[in-house]
Amino acid sequence: MDTRQARLEAARAALAAVEGRVGATREAWDSPELPLAPTLAQLLPRGLRRGHVIAVENSTSLLLALAAEASREGSWTAIVGMPHVGVLAAARRGIDLSRLALIPHPGTQAPAVMGAIVDGMDVVIVGEGLAVSDADRRRIAARARERGSVVLAAQGWAGAHMHLMVERSRWRGLGAGEGRLRERDVTVAVKGRGIAATRRVLVALDVDTQALMPRPAMHQAVAGGRALDTEVA
Amino acid sequence: MSAPRLADAVVDTVRRVVLWVPDWPVVAAAMEAGIGPQAPAAVLHGKGLMAVSAAARAAGVRRGMRRRLAQRACPELVILGHDEGRDARSFEAVAAAAETVVAGVEISRPGLLMIPSAGAARFHGSEEALAEALMTAVAEEAGCESAVGMADGLLAAVMAARANEVVPAGESAQYLAPLPITALAHAAMERAQRAHVEDFVSVLVRLGLHTLGDLVALPGPDVLARFGPIGAWAQRMAAGQDVAPPVLRRSAEDIAVEHTFEDPAERIEQLTLVAAEVAEQLDRALLDASSRCARVRIGARTVTGAELERVWRTDVGVRAGAFAKHMTDRVRWQLEGWLSGTAQGPEPAPLTALRLTAEDVVPLGREQAFLWGGSSGADARAHRALERVQGLLGAEGVLAVAEQGGRSPRDRIHVLAWGQEGVPPRRIEHPWPGHLPEPAPATVLPIPQDVQVLDAGGTPVRIDRRLAMSAPPTWVRLQADPRDAKARAAHRHPSSGHVGGSDGPVWASPLPIEAWAGPWPVAERWWSDDASRRAFLQIAVRDEHGERDLAVLVAFTEGRWVLEAIYD
Repeated sequence: MDTRQARLEAARAALAAVEGRVGATREAWDSPELPLAPTLAQLLPRGLRRGHVIAVENSTSLLLALAAEASREGSWTAIVGMPHVGVLAAARRGIDLSRLALIPHPGTQAPAVMGAIVDGMDVVIVGEGLAVSDADRRRIAARARERGSVVLAAQGWAGAHMHLMVERSRWRGLGAGEGRLRERDVTVAVKGRGIAATRRVLVALDVDTQALMPRPAMHQAVAGGRALDTEVA
Repeated sequence: MSAPRLADAVVDTVRRVVLWVPDWPVVAAAMEAGIGPQAPAAVLHGKGLMAVSAAARAAGVRRGMRRRLAQRACPELVILGHDEGRDARSFEAVAAAAETVVAGVEISRPGLLMIPSAGAARFHGSEEALAEALMTAVAEEAGCESAVGMADGLLAAVMAARANEVVPAGESAQYLAPLPITALAHAAMERAQRAHVEDFVSVLVRLGLHTLGDLVALPGPDVLARFGPIGAWAQRMAAGQDVAPPVLRRSAEDIAVEHTFEDPAERIEQLTLVAAEVAEQLDRALLDASSRCARVRIGARTVTGAELERVWRTDVGVRAGAFAKHMTDRVRWQLEGWLSGTAQGPEPAPLTALRLTAEDVVPLGREQAFLWGGSSGADARAHRALERVQGLLGAEGVLAVAEQGGRSPRDRIHVLAWGQEGVPPRRIEHPWPGHLPEPAPATVLPIPQDVQVLDAGGTPVRIDRRLAMSAPPTWVRLQADPRDAKARAAHRHPSSGHVGGSDGPVWASPLPIEAWAGPWPVAERWWSDDASRRAFLQIAVRDEHGERDLAVLVAFTEGRWVLEAIYD
């Protein structure tokens, strides 16, 4: 017991010495984290790190949801090159509109605009179809790392730290002419730099907070109906 | 009602000076009508007289009398109309006169000024000297008689002013105790509050409480339990205590700079030079007044006589040197917008005059910072970045958004250029019947796009005026992605029906509808030109691979279907 403890201590000391010599201690390597909603934490195991680029495909809602908690806690958010973004949805997801700026059409100035925005804002959401080359993207990512801002891209981004792709989504609540969109589950394929396998995570992206009928009661009603059917049969 | 706020507030009682101009409505009206103070006059409001001059009172005219009764008592009585705006306006002169003696006064209501006495009395030597200086200044500069009183607490000070007395410190309670309970009404500053207090006082009188001392002698918790917040307020007032500290009025006025063009100007280069010059003038004027402003109103007049106006926020007080440049940019953007006709407003026309007005002027170093501490470094950094992008793209390149009332997702967002001031035109609090249910769509098309909603046989579904659908929707056909070469080729192919190509939209292959809800009718602004009648439908379809549900919001309007938003 005692020798095992001593060996563990020695091993830790050796590791620390090597880390100190190479300059790769984990604390220095990990940049500070921006707050993230607990339901989304499983998507980004390392958290929403400052300086990271995260590509999100196929879902504007997921982009907004990732930025929401940080904005609520006081971060500044800019949405660049997304003239279609639903600002009301952003507000409902928790983005503070007083700290949100939209730059819908950066046009040919996109690289310069992105550079300036990454300098000043904490979270930058980038739309599709910007006039930004791969070299510009690398430069923007480097700038984000240096200034500690998070870039959330609505399309693939070569060299992104994390790559989230919504593969499957299911809406609930609509019927044949009645109901309304209520809840949505999405399956997100998570790839990342330094993560070997693609993980698939099921996330409840929309949760109906004002449902009239509690869910268990509905299940009971259905079960009761079935029971009746079998009896009749 | 403000009574709960009054009851909650527990503040230190402040010693104050009250300057009271007796019968202020009559004095103001007589001054405006050019009648001397010796002539009997009265102000009529509704059925009764609301204020009576001293001469008229001597002739037997009383407050609350009917017009005919008053004229019988005093045939030469001049009856003047009531105008609250005039009372407030003319009282500014009295406040300004008092401000020559002390810095910072509170206008409690037209006719009554309140001044914290501690510093001012020390400066003038004694409270009596301060009172004398105030009365002299008001008599000489505003031309009206006034009375000054001093005491601890609001009610005692007001009553002291009515009696022209100085109540020694700490004796307010004894001073108030023998006064009739009707005096409580003098502590109410607004008309609604006053009526409320008068009702309450009449109850007290019927209960046999005739002096303020009687009310103070009652146990406090019992008064609160029986009469609620107003009882607690009245008891505090009657004991000579305060419920709120005095609010001092800001004395600074708006600073304006105007430039008149000799020849009407329409070239932007010419205007840019003028913009820089005017901005610098304003900067200098602000610096001379050693103040800064929270907002700048930029106004311009065109040769056609139209006025163009916009308000910009300025957050650059700390960076003094940047102000002129900052304002120059804003003036230039705004003029560019007007002259190019991109911004909303009247027809573009050459300008004859340019005017900058600094609003919300505060002394330097007294800027309103954030509630908790100063503005953070992150905020300043973000503002700077956005200003830089505005420099690259123009004012309208960076937008600030706010939520407003409305029914469709597009209507519920109010967009303004970053840094521009404006109030959303539609209130959120209004009910907006028929607004679309949550969740809000994450993609909202700025311009709705044509879409096909088809029934099982492939004919477009129609909705009639009574919201009956011609058939349940079965297929939906969205417009193809413009980058989709396959869809473009199919569109050009002779089998598509239009040989030689057509300019119509390129349709993607139809998708089967999984589920749908609606129609939800929204008929808006039928009385105006921009009337719209729409019926919304929420539709969920499955994409070609059967993996992702695609939920869309479509609307039927004027006989066609449009795609409004996507829940992606």
